[in-house]
Amino acid sequence: MLQLQNVTFKVPDSDVKTKLPLQKTIVNDVSFTFERGGFYAITGPNGSGKTSLAKLIMGINELSSGKIVFDGQDISPLSIHERSNAGIVYGFQHPARFKGTTFRDLLSIAAGTDDEETLARIIARVGVCSMSFLDKPVDSKLSGGEIKKIELATVIARNPKVAIYDEPDTGIDLWTIGPMVELLKREQKEHNTTTIVVSHNKAFLEAADTLLLVRKGRIAYSGDLKGAMPMLEDLSVCTFNEPCQGENDARCYR
Amino acid sequence: MLDATDKLVLKEVAGLEDIPKGAYNIRKNGKLLGREVSANINIESNEKGDGIIIDIKPGTKNESVHIPVILSQAGLHDVVYNTFIVGENADVTIIAGCGIHCGGKESEGHSGIHEFKIKAGAKVKYVEKHIALGKGTGRRILNPTTKVFMEKNSQIEMELTQLGGVDEARRVNDAVVGEGATLIITERVMTDGDQIADSKNEIELAGTGSKANIVARSVIKGNSSQDFFVNLTAKAKCYGHIECDAIIMDNGINQTVPALRALHPDAELTHEASIGKIANDQLMKLMSLGLDYDAAVNRIIQGFLR
Ligand SMILES: Nc1ncnc2c1ncn2[C@@H]1O[C@H](COP(=O)(O)OP(=O)(O)O)[C@@H](O)[C@H]1O
Ligand SMILES: [Mg+2]
Repeated sequence: MLQLQNVTFKVPDSDVKTKLPLQKTIVNDVSFTFERGGFYAITGPNGSGKTSLAKLIMGINELSSGKIVFDGQDISPLSIHERSNAGIVYGFQHPARFKGTTFRDLLSIAAGTDDEETLARIIARVGVCSMSFLDKPVDSKLSGGEIKKIELATVIARNPKVAIYDEPDTGIDLWTIGPMVELLKREQKEHNTTTIVVSHNKAFLEAADTLLLVRKGRIAYSGDLKGAMPMLEDLSVCTFNEPCQGENDARCYR
Repeated sequence: MLDATDKLVLKEVAGLEDIPKGAYNIRKNGKLLGREVSANINIESNEKGDGIIIDIKPGTKNESVHIPVILSQAGLHDVVYNTFIVGENADVTIIAGCGIHCGGKESEGHSGIHEFKIKAGAKVKYVEKHIALGKGTGRRILNPTTKVFMEKNSQIEMELTQLGGVDEARRVNDAVVGEGATLIITERVMTDGDQIADSKNEIELAGTGSKANIVARSVIKGNSSQDFFVNLTAKAKCYGHIECDAIIMDNGINQTVPALRALHPDAELTHEASIGKIANDQLMKLMSLGLDYDAAVNRIIQGFLR
């Protein structure tokens, strides 16, 4: 239902030595189909292109080449709000902070109404943020965890067909991760929401039907968690592969 | 007594549908249009006859006084000197504001010089809205001045708003904050077209334990320009903060100059200032919730000026 066809994202860059303009490929020829109602986890090292891929789907990043087809329609030319109104919503890894704009404002925009009862119902459904959040400005005073909860609520308030959550667990306390996973699973079941979670958290990786492992802008693996284990372990051995000269020279204590 | 234009202006500047309850003084085109005093709030013309003295009795609680100004006479430049004496431990709301209705080619202006003497323990909320309406092409000029003297443990919260139609605004706010007193100023200004607005603030934290929080929010559209200056001078152990943010749209220009001067070793002064376009991540967020670009801009500005 959501098809990525040879999706590529390049950004301008320059050669370190010659200073000549170059292009850097961030997402490299990715093709994949997300099925309706599926639960997907996207994982991979920092800087591998997960956020860039999610932003391509939302229309925040512009495709360099390739195509995105949603429910049979080529949505590549659609702007962000048109994709949102078609049913795709992205919860940011680093949510915007405003001045003056409150959680109530964001939730009302997302829900398309400022009716108090409707908003209360959404908050109850989301569970992880309380009514007392409602009139808080979504500004720099919020903690990292608080703003991520608000971000999550605004995505759910839109009743999306496809919900993409970018590292929803960042800054979230240990006791909220479990309920958050349950919430996304419940949303997936009750509303048949296609759920895509970018995360390194075991709880989300285990909750997913399908795991995508992104490396250097490509999908290096897709399938179940068990099948991904060897590659995940390989990645976790050492994150300083490149600068490290090897165990003997660098006296690695890992 | 009030014609349709007066009613429109009163609604915009003072939120009034009709003559207010309680004490009020309505000035129209340089003359008194109506006045009412209450048991605790007296209003009388000053000796020179160029303004009014509003005297609020000590201990007055939960009362308000409205002093709107209506200007609808082409060519008139009205200057008025008002003095507010707020008695000890009083707790009152003062709603001021000026609305210009301009129908012709000649300019119209109002300069209100407001002096506040806030006695010990008194608490004041001062709400001042400025607006200009009408289809005339004459320049609409508003130059407000406030001078605030705060005694021990007094408090004033000033909300100064100018959201449209005023071609030229030159504001001066001076305040001397006494021992344990708290001054809060929130200024919101939106300009468009070729409008100019500037605001000069001289705040002196004079007494031990005094506090000041100065917040300015500017939205600068079209070819308009806004300048904001604040000097926050500390002469005692005190706490002061300045927060000024300007959003530039179109070809607007802005100067924001917050200055902190600690003339006492125990002063704690901070400031944050920003000038820039609407943040891209804010726009992206609202668009990802289904708003088109223009609607997203509107919502962000609405929140910012709230
Ligand atoms: N607009 C851009 N311009 C330049 N570099 C970018 C841009 N967007 C992403 N990148 C770079 O692409 C890489 C992948 O980023 P990102 O997708 O955020 O990774 P991940 O989410 O997997 O950690 C990073 O090195 C990042 O700096
Ligand atoms: Mg990321």
